[in-house]
Formats: sequence, C-alpha cells, structure tokens
Amino acid sequence: MEESPLHAFELHDLIPLVPAGVDISINKAVILMWVVVGLVAFLMISAAAARKLVPGKLQNMAELIVEFIRGIILDTMGEAGMKYFPLIATLFLFILFANLLGLIPGSYTVTSQIIVTAVFAVGIYGLSLVLGFSLHGMKFLGILVPPGTPGWLLPLMIPIELISQLARPISLAVRLFANMTAGHVILGVLFGLAISGGLLIGWLPFAFTIAMNGLEVGIAFIQAYIFTVLSCVYLGDAVTLHGHSEHAH
Amino acid sequence: MPQFESHFFSSLIFWEILSFGILFFLLYKYAFPSLLGMLEEREKKIKDSLDQAERHRSEAERKLKEYEAKLATAAKDAEALLAQAKERAARLMEENEQRMTADAERIKGDATREIETERRKAVQDIRSQTTDLAMMVAEKVVGRALTDGDHRRLADEALDALAKTYQSRN
Repeated sequence: MEESPLHAFELHDLIPLVPAGVDISINKAVILMWVVVGLVAFLMISAAAARKLVPGKLQNMAELIVEFIRGIILDTMGEAGMKYFPLIATLFLFILFANLLGLIPGSYTVTSQIIVTAVFAVGIYGLSLVLGFSLHGMKFLGILVPPGTPGWLLPLMIPIELISQLARPISLAVRLFANMTAGHVILGVLFGLAISGGLLIGWLPFAFTIAMNGLEVGIAFIQAYIFTVLSCVYLGDAVTLHGHSEHAH
Repeated sequence: MPQFESHFFSSLIFWEILSFGILFFLLYKYAFPSLLGMLEEREKKIKDSLDQAERHRSEAERKLKEYEAKLATAAKDAEALLAQAKERAARLMEENEQRMTADAERIKGDATREIETERRKAVQDIRSQTTDLAMMVAEKVVGRALTDGDHRRLADEALDALAKTYQSRN
C-alpha cells in the first residue's frame, strides 16, 4: 500500500465538539496531549511522593530532570529565574514527552503541529514582553538597543533588533515543528521504501528506519532542550534587561 | 501539508492550553515543591556536612595550636622553675658555708679568749703563790716581819723583773 509520507500528520475529528460555535473537536493530537499530561503528571507526582533522601529509580529520574532544568534556569536567568521554574519545567516535560510519545509507531506527534508549537512560542514570547514591560516600564524598549551602540548607529540597529525580536517566536515555533515534521517524514519515507521494497531489498530501509528512530529519540530530547533554553534566554532578557537590573543574579 | 489545515487550529489551541494548564497546576501543586525541596534539602545536608567537617578541622587545628602553645609555656615554666631551684640551692649552700665559717671563727675566737683568760688566771695564781712563798722565805731569812705591804711591793718588783726577763727571752 503506497501512502504519502505526510499521511502521518493528518488529523480527523474523532468526537465532534462545537460548543458556542467554537470547534474543539477531539482528534488524535488532542488525545495524545491528554496522554502526555497523564503520563507526566503520574511520573512526576509519584516520584515526588516517594520523598526519600536516598532516591529510588523513578525519584532519581525526576530529580535528574528537575536538576537539569534548574541548571538551565540558573545558567540563563540566575537565581531570580527560579520563580519561573514551574513554568519552564512544565514546558520542557510537555514538549519532551510529546516528542517522545510521537515516536511510538501508530501514535501522533503533537509537536509536529505548527499551531501547537506556535502557541508555546507566542505564549513564552508574550510572557517575556509582559514581564519586561511590567518590571522595567518603557525602559524595556532599551532591549532594542544593545549596550554600547553609538548614537549614529541607532537608525540601523533598532530595525535590526526589532526584526531579531520578531524572529524569536517565529524561529522558536518553526524550529520545533520543522524538526519533528522532518524526522517523521524521513521515517515515513524510509518505512514506505521498506514496505514497497519487499523482503529482498526492503530490509535495508527498514534497518535505516530503526536507526533513524534511535536518532529521533535524541532529537526529541535536543529539541525539547533547545526550546526550553531559548525560552529561558528570552525570559531572562526580559527580566534582567542587559543584565543591569536589580533582578540580575 | 496537513499541519496547515486551519480547521483543527481552534481545537488544538483550546486543548493545548487546557492540558498545559492542567499539567502546570498538577506539577506546581503536587510535584515541584516536593522535588525541589528534596533537592535543596539534600544540597543543604551535603553543604552542612562539608561545613561541619571544615569547622571540626579548623577547631582541631586551633586546639592543636593551643596545646602546642600550652606545652611550650609549660616547658618554659619548668625551665624557669629548675633555674630558680638551682639558684636557690646555690644560694643556700653559699649561705650555709658562710654561716659555718662564721661559726667556726666565732668558736675559735671564744676558745682563744677562754684560753687566754685561763692562762692569765694561772699566771696570776702562780704569781700570788710565789709571792706568798717568797715572803715566807724572806721572813725566815730576815727574821723579822716586814709589813705586809712592804713584802708585797718587794715581791711584785722581783716578779716583774722576772717576768720581763722571761718575756724578753721568749
């Protein structure tokens, strides 16, 4: 059976739900979101419930993740950033598990939906703007002027910085979406070759599929990590503003 | 691409925000405080242990220095005491020697004086007895008694002459 490698990204309304004219029908991606929420909540809460000084396996893993995210926050935002730990950690866990669960054959990669990554990216970037303006007022516009810029360069620098600022949420959203999509397209193509190749030659792309799947696990981690780090950097920029504010470190 | 089908956008946005919110709430409430607290607790424990070890070490060092100083003081004290004792012993010995020498001198002086007195007494005795004897002899020879005063004067003169002779011979 020949099918498009993009077939895997198609969604179908499983349970139509249209209250008050807003379509919130249940589809595969929505179900996967629930699975992510259930799994992450179950793992983290049962790990937290153990509360042993010498941790067991699950607790150890949860602590590893917590420590990892804390490291990211401390590196990018300093001690003041720990206020945003729950948000950043939830973001990381959600994206990581969405990426990983998508690799299970037959499931769905939530993060391969541009609208899903866009909501995260716009949400984080929007939060950074809100924080920036509420902490620094109009001075936050200074983020468009890198420290040490000579006055005559301002007409050039401000448009450049403005574009770089606007590129932040877009690049954040597109990077995750594109990586997830591309990985699954490659997997789809290889698997399609394996199916159509038959037994004689088909084992070769099949082996590649398995290898690619392993690689995709790594990419799932890396993309979740990149998304988290960049979110921290953007939030950190807003909170510390060139690292000169009282919130810095 | 099927991802750009806007038909699903509203549903995905709604459920994403809702599930993320629920997950955030659950983790915020039930997972992170405990996990972060545990991490901090462990870090604090390790830091405390290290601090304590460091404190113990510096205390031990301080005690060692204290004891060394005490030991040094004690040694110095002992030395001083020894020197003092030696000095005192020497002084005592010298004093004793001086006192004994003085005693000996005194005893010798006393003895000498006593001997001299005895000698003088003896000479006096001899002299008076000799005078009496001479008077007796002279009475017999002269046959008449001189006055006692005459006799004594004569005898004394004779004896003085005798003594002078004796002294000049010695």
